[in-house]
Order: sequence, then structure tokens, then C-alpha cells
Amino acid sequence: MLTRLRAIVQRLTYHRSTRLTSEGLQFLFFTLAVGIAAINTGNNLFYLLLSMMLSIILVSGIVAEHCLRRLEFHRHLPDLLFTNELATATLVVKNRKSRFPSFSLTLFDVCDGQDIDRGLVIRELPPGASKLLSYPLVAARRGRLRLDGVRVITSFPFGLFLKKAYYPVAGEAIICPEIKPLADEVLQDVLAAGQEHTAHRKGYGSDLYNLRLYQAGDDSRAIHWVTTARTSKLTVRETEAESQRRASIYLSPLAPDNLDTEFEEAVAYTASLVHHLAVRGYHLQLTTGSSRSSFGQGEAHLLDLLRMLALCERRAPHADMRSDTDRLMEPPDTVDSGALIVVRPWRGAEVPSAPVPVLLVDTETFLGASHAM
Amino acid sequence: MPCDQALRLTSIVLASASFVGLVLGASLPGWLIFLTASALLVALSRTGNVTAITSVVRLVTLSPTTWNVLVLSGFLGFWIDSLWISGDLLTSGIHFLLVLMIIKLFNLQHRRDYVHLFAISLVAILAAASLTSELWYFPIFLAYMLAGVWTLLLFQLTKDAAVPWAAIRREPEPLESNSDVTPKMFWMANGLAAATFGLTLVIFFVIPRVSAGFYQKGYGENIRTSGFSNTVDLGSIGPIKRDRSVVMRVELPDRQAHEVGRFYLRGLAFDRYDGRSWANQLSHRRSLSEDSPETFTLRGSQSHKPPPHGPALRQHIQLEPLDTPVLFAAPFAESINGRFPAIQADVTGALYLPFPSSTRIEYSAVSRSNTVAPADLQPRPTAYPELFIRHFLQMPVQSERIAALARDVAESKQTMYEKAVAIQDHLSSHYRYSLDAPLAAQAHPLEEFLFDRKTGYCEHYATAMVMMLRAIGIPARLVTGFLATEWNEYGNYYVVRQQDAHAWVEVHLPHSGWVMMDPTPADGDSPGGTLPAWHTVQSMLDSVRLRWNRFFVQYSATDQLAVMRDLQTGSASVRLRTLDSLAAFLRPLTAAFETGIDSMTNGGLPHVVKVVAILLAGCGVVAWLVWGRPWNWPRRSTGAAGDEQAIVQLYRRMLRQLERRGIRKPAAMPPLQFIRIIQAQWSAAGTAVASITELYCRARFGRVPLTREELHRAQETFHRLTSLSRS
Repeated sequence: MLTRLRAIVQRLTYHRSTRLTSEGLQFLFFTLAVGIAAINTGNNLFYLLLSMMLSIILVSGIVAEHCLRRLEFHRHLPDLLFTNELATATLVVKNRKSRFPSFSLTLFDVCDGQDIDRGLVIRELPPGASKLLSYPLVAARRGRLRLDGVRVITSFPFGLFLKKAYYPVAGEAIICPEIKPLADEVLQDVLAAGQEHTAHRKGYGSDLYNLRLYQAGDDSRAIHWVTTARTSKLTVRETEAESQRRASIYLSPLAPDNLDTEFEEAVAYTASLVHHLAVRGYHLQLTTGSSRSSFGQGEAHLLDLLRMLALCERRAPHADMRSDTDRLMEPPDTVDSGALIVVRPWRGAEVPSAPVPVLLVDTETFLGASHAM
Repeated sequence: MPCDQALRLTSIVLASASFVGLVLGASLPGWLIFLTASALLVALSRTGNVTAITSVVRLVTLSPTTWNVLVLSGFLGFWIDSLWISGDLLTSGIHFLLVLMIIKLFNLQHRRDYVHLFAISLVAILAAASLTSELWYFPIFLAYMLAGVWTLLLFQLTKDAAVPWAAIRREPEPLESNSDVTPKMFWMANGLAAATFGLTLVIFFVIPRVSAGFYQKGYGENIRTSGFSNTVDLGSIGPIKRDRSVVMRVELPDRQAHEVGRFYLRGLAFDRYDGRSWANQLSHRRSLSEDSPETFTLRGSQSHKPPPHGPALRQHIQLEPLDTPVLFAAPFAESINGRFPAIQADVTGALYLPFPSSTRIEYSAVSRSNTVAPADLQPRPTAYPELFIRHFLQMPVQSERIAALARDVAESKQTMYEKAVAIQDHLSSHYRYSLDAPLAAQAHPLEEFLFDRKTGYCEHYATAMVMMLRAIGIPARLVTGFLATEWNEYGNYYVVRQQDAHAWVEVHLPHSGWVMMDPTPADGDSPGGTLPAWHTVQSMLDSVRLRWNRFFVQYSATDQLAVMRDLQTGSASVRLRTLDSLAAFLRPLTAAFETGIDSMTNGGLPHVVKVVAILLAGCGVVAWLVWGRPWNWPRRSTGAAGDEQAIVQLYRRMLRQLERRGIRKPAAMPPLQFIRIIQAQWSAAGTAVASITELYCRARFGRVPLTREELHRAQETFHRLTSLSRS
């Protein structure tokens, strides 16, 4: 019982608030003046006017409360958003009252306790009706976008008060870094490095990779009859996998506090690189911070990598980061991982040593200067 | 009509209501009335887009600086007006207010101008309230409230349309619903006004009254009346007997409508007559003691009289502001109840306020008239004290003829009472009533009335009777007051007008005290003639006016207490009655329970089982009511659940339809997989089935409510599906 009471009190204080408008302040001032005049003179007609003004205030509160009551919200956000790219979010508002419509509702997204104006206005929402509102969503920063709820404000019916109600409607989306076009020169270097280090592995393909003795479970269609006849031993042929271009990208998370902008540029550059290489069919592995992806290809893998980049965080370089750095210095998974592209927002960050060619991309590159091989 | 245009219109109506209130309440100069009315008409015609006026107004458009200069000039004029012209701050303030209103009406462009006009009209209606308490204020107030609610509502709606981010809205609502006053909005605004009015009444009657309000400032002049000062010239009542102004309204709570007749309201009594005028030489006043709050009682106020022994008569009186401090009541008042700081009385029993009231006052009185005691019907010698004789047997020197006439008339009568009645009958039967008798100009008006013209009105009759009684040694005095004859059958009260002013006689009988007699012929003082056709309407209006005064103008803290007491009493009786009814309702149950208990004690087990079963069933019903909340069931079927049900039903109908076409959905197959089967087997229906299935899945499994449009779209898709034929 006590808990319930406390919950009611909390809900009343947190979910509802009322603010006076400038017109409301003037109206209240006049009401006060009429009240003083009524008390001073005892004139009942003054009391009548005072009652009218008080009842207008009261009706204002009651009607506004009814407007804000029993609303239901459903939010839909795109799964993945890109920084500075226009996306559409939708909000379904339903009036669950059976008799009373709601009027003049202004809706705000609530994010970290802040009201964000999306320009959403509902002039009238009949009882039982619902309305689908869509609005443009442009995220300025990558990361996780969390929307806590919806704040509904109305000044209906008389514009004297702004009554606010809060409805918790959680919504979450991942904001990926912005994808930018890359300089041709950089792209050519990356592509060339990848090409030179094409790995030769058995797999599906047409070229012969190897001949070996048949083992139980081998596909009978793979039996190389010529060799079998020649050697009198059941021999199967293995094919070489089709040409696979592979690249491993390493984004150094180390950057001092004053290089935050550079770090963000490095992340955006990495995302663009990942996107361009993925589009060209590369098998990609991304290492950033303490997380490392597997090699992969395709749209789903690209989205995973972009998600990683969306959530990676800058780390200030200091002594106790040693173990982390050690892990980061580990070479990529396999020796035949293709080129290693290191994106470094801070020149002080170490470049991992690897038995593969390393393409080092420094601040100057993604800020418009050259890169080093 | 567009909202902004409607806002302009309602603002002008608001200003008009307050202006009419001021015009009716205050005596405004004609030029100001004309100017304001013209400004209102011009503003109104601009709202209605009257081309000629709009183009003329455009020609004389002034800059904001010019308007500001005009306002400053008006302010200067206000001081000049208050110091030299009207000399009154309130009057000059009202004039300035109207000047501001005119300026604002011509300059109604920005939103702040509407706020200013609203404020001006509010002050104006407040000023009107301070100037009047008449019934006409009520319709003005209602019009003001209606226009005010409309204005505030439209101000808010147009404000929403004007917010800056409205421009970046991606999906603007249709313009028609934004900008026009729709029928729905019309009824909503009127509904809000009705709700506001209801709440206004509740608050008005509940809000505590902290001030007595008796000394509130009245505006305008009090009703001039005559006959109620210490000296009254003979014939002074005559002129006011043509005035139909209402002086007071009197309710008689203990008397039924069929019992009413001529009703006397006593004012002053006069003892000394000098041949041309009456004077009250016993006008020394003393304050009455306040027995209980607001109740003043007269004790031994009338000299040389036994206590009154007639029936008590209660009266509720609403007295208009008069130029006399006299309070009126039926003879003879015993107590007065009202919100007065003090009440005074003189020796003759006349009641006074400390000074004339400038506002309408309301009070109750209890009176008790004297009846003739049997002892006074026997001839017995009476000796009066010297002081009594000096006042009530006084006669002017030149009255020998009057004395002779009195002796002639009363010659054959034995007792004082019989003689008085004989004189009364003589006067009422031998003289003619007329208001046109020019007796006031005569040197000896009484002799002129009695012996020459034999025509006069109440004052002459009463004076003649007093003089004739005194001439034969019977103490008498002249009384002025009102004789009410107009009964309002709609409100059950007397309407007393100036024309009902009257004079009559009080005769002193040794054992009965002062007994009232009236020699004026009955038909002489009644309004006479047939009542005009609009009398009914007038009576009804007057009845409303009485209620207005009673429940609004004169409503006080005492009334609030009375209402509370009534409610308390009422609630106590209601509670008792409810308990009685409940007991009667539960009697069979309690009887059964008692039987069960008896059976239990006597070892009858089946009865015990019955009782326990009944108790358990009762508990079950209570639990069902508490947790089940059956009154919420109808609501549960509406809303989101209703939408979900609708789309589920539609989906089922679709499945039945497809089954009829030869494609059956296995129970275990998920809906989305079924779409692929449909697309494979009947490609033409694939899109429709996919669309309905998507909505079905969203509402049923995604718990996302559907909009009306989506439901409508689903139904249309279903109809399209039914019209398809499968080859």
C-alpha cells in the first residue's frame, strides 16, 4: 500500500507538471486584483467575476488533464542510422479515452532528461483514434541513440497554462559514422595492396589445388579417375578457392583528449574504407579498441563492422593501458590476411608489426593529406 | 469562418459586452458613447470584410507612434477630466478606459493587441459591476463570459498555428481543420462556456465572503421619496403617487398567496400638526440592542401601550436605495434581522438606519399588530398622562369647525373605538379620492378638504381623521408608509412602488394600545384600472429580479452558513433514511442468519451449511466486484484491443475466403509462410493476402495498435480479394 502510494506520488510529481504562460501570468494577476477588490468591497458582482476567472483556471486544468490522459505511444526507429544522414522516425499516438478527444498536443522526444522538439503537433485526436507521425531524424554524433520517452505538452483550452505529461516510450538506435567518398589515390593503394596479397587456399573453384588419397566421406564426384587409374589408388582432386581479396583494418583507439575531433574523423574514415572495400567484395576484418571481428563478407558483415565503429570509444594513452595495447598489437588472425590497414588518429600510437604489408593511414590522410606505405 | 477572423469577432463581442455594461451602469457622455459604438461597428465591419469601410480604414492607417501619442493624449485627458471636468477618479477612469478601447479597436493587428483588448474589457466589466447591481448585469455577464471563453480558446488555437516550428512540420494537417471554425469546435467552445458557467456558480456560492459589503459605494442617485422626514407638508405625498419606481419587495414566508390583501408597511409616525404640515416631535432615537448577531429587538419602544397581542408576521424585505434612513416593516415591528451596523428607533416605533443606504439592502422583520381588546368596547373613562395628551391630542388653533364635525359624526357612539370607526366610515363614504386636488396651495388645506372640495388623497383623509379624533379627545397620530397591493404571483411577494406611498391613522385605545385605522377609500389607493397586457411579463421579470437580488447581489456569509446548516440537516436525515432502507432490505438476510445461528445451536447441520454457503457466495460476489471490476468490461472491448479484434476477425474471414477458393491454411503453418504458398498457388491474391497478414501480425504479435486508416485499408483489401476469381 505504501509502495503504491509512493509510486503514485512519484508519478504525479515526475510525470505531470504545469507551467504558466505569459498570458496565464497576466490572467492570474487580474484574478488576484479582482479577488482583492471583491474582498475589499464585498461587492457580490465582483465575486461573480472572480468566480468566473477562477472557473476558467479550473476548467483549463481539468480539460488539459483530460487531453493528456490515456494516450498510448509506439515508436519506431530505424535499426541503423548514419551520422548527418536524414532518416525517418515514426511515432504512433493513440487516444485510448472512450469519450473525450485530445486537442493541441505538442510532442517532444525525451533524451537524457532533455526535451527535443521534433515539430510534432496534433491538433485533434478523437476518442479511440490513432495518428501516425513521422519526423526527420538527423544524428550529429555516432554512438548509441537512446530515447527515453515522449513529453506531451498542451496549452489547451485557453492557453493560460502549459501542462506537460511524460510517457516512457523507450527507443534505441545505433548511429554509424558518416560514410564519405574516399580519395582515389588512397583507394588505389589499398586495392593494389589487397590484390598483391591474394591468398591461395583450397576451396570451391575450378583450378586444381592438390591431389590426395580418398578418405571416407569424400565426395565421389571429386575422384580424379586418371590418377586413380595410373596409381591404382583411389585419388581425389582438391580445387583452389576462387580468388579472395582480403584486408584487415586496424583503427587505433588511442588519442589524447585534445584530439577528439581527429579520432572521430579517423572513425568516419575507417567506416568509409570498410564500406568501399565491402562493396568491392573484400573479406574484411576490423580491429578497434578491445574488440576484433572475424573475417567476413556481405551486407550483414558490413553492418556488423559499422556497428563496431559506431560504438568504439577513444582512449587516452596512459600507462595502465598496457595490457590493452598489447592485445591490440597482436597481429591479425592469419598470415594470409591480406593487407593490414592501420588508421591512426594520433601519431604517438604504435603501429602493429605484421608479416603482411601495412598501409598506414595517419591524421593527414583523412584530414586531406597523404598517407604512408 | 477562419479562426483568426473568429478571434477578431469574439474580441469585438467581448469589448461590446463590457461597453454595454458601462453604458447601462454609468452615465457616460453622449460623444463617448457615439465614438465607442462607432469604433465597435467599424471593427465589426472590418471583420465582415465590408469593402467600403475596410478601404476607408486603410486610407487612414496610422503608424504605431501615432497610436502611442494618442494613448498618451488620452492619459493626459484622464487627469484633466479627473481634476477639472468630472472631478471623480472613477468616472474619468471609465472615460479613459473607453478611449483606450477605441484606440485598440482601430489598431487590432498583433496578438498582443488582442491581449490588451481583453484586459481593457475585463476592467470595463469590472467597472460596470461596481456601478450597478441591476438584473441587466446578468445577461451582460453571460455574454461576456461566452465571448471570453471563445476568445481565449481561439487565441490559443491561433497561437498554435503561429509557432515557428510549424513551418518545418513534415506532415501539416489539412488547412480546413486548422483555420476554420468547424461545427465541432463551435459546440466544444459552447460546451466549455457552459462548464465554466456551472463552475462559476458553484465557486460563487462556495467562495467565502469575508467582507460585509454593506458600505460598498453605490453609483447614481438614490430614489427620491417624500413623507419620511421629521416634518412633512400636507400634500407632499401626492406627487410621488404617480411614480411607478419599485421601492421595495416584501415576501411573507408564513402567508399563502390566497391570504394576501392590502399590506401596510409602516414608516414614520407624526404627532404634531400646525395646520399645514406634520412634525414628529418624538424623534429622539435610541439604538436597538442586538440580541443575537444581526438581530435587533425593540423593547418598550411605544409609550403608553400594552404589549401587542396580535399574531406574529414575518417579512423579508428588499429595500431599494432611498434618500431616507427609515426602515419599513408591517406595524408593529418587534425585531429586525439584517447586516446592519446599528438600528435606531424613536418613541413612536419608527425604525432608522444610522444614515440612508446607497445600495439595495435586505432584512427580515417580525411584526405583531394590535387587535381591539374587549375592554375597549365598553364605555369607560380614561385618563391619559399630561405628556401623552400634549403630543397626541394636540390641535392647531383654527380647528373649531373640525371639532364640530367630529362631534356630529361621533355623537351617537359610546366608546372611543366606536367613535373612531364612525369617523373613519364618515370620511371614507362622504369624500372623493383624487390625486388632482390642489389643496397644498390652500391656506387651510384641511378645512378646504373637509368642508369645500371634499376631494383629496390619503394624507388629507388621514389628517382629517386624526384632527377629528383629537377634537373629541381620542389620542391619534398620523403614520406614513406604503400600502402594498401588487402581489407578484410568480415570486409570491409584494412589489411596493413609489405610488404605493400612503398615510393612515393610529388610534390609541386604553386597553388595546395603538390600533391602525385607514379612512382612505379602498379603491382610491389601489393602482386601479385593468392591468396592461405586458403585466405578466413584467411580473415574471420582477420575480427574476428578486431572485437575482436575493441569490447574487445580497448573497452573504450568513446565507452560506444557512445553506451549510440546511445541508447538514439534510444529510443527517438522508443518512437516517438510508440506514432504515438498508435495514429493511437486509431484514430477510439477517432473519435467515439468525435462523442459521439458532439451528447451529440446536444441532441442525443443513442450516449451517446453507448459511456458510450464503456467506461464501457473498464473499465471492464482493471479491468479483473488487477484482473483476465488471463495470470496466465494456471499455476493455474498445481501444487497442478492439482494433486487434477487428484485424483478427478480418484475417479469419480472409482464411475462410481462401479456403472456399481451395487454399487451406494448416493450423501449424505460420502466417508469413502461408503468404508464400498463396503467392505460389494464386499469385493474383498474393499482394492482398500479404498486406492483410502484415497488419494482422503487427497488431496481434507486435502489439502495435493499428490506425483507423490501416484498418480501413485492410477492409478494402479484403473486398478486393473477394472480388478476385481464381482460374
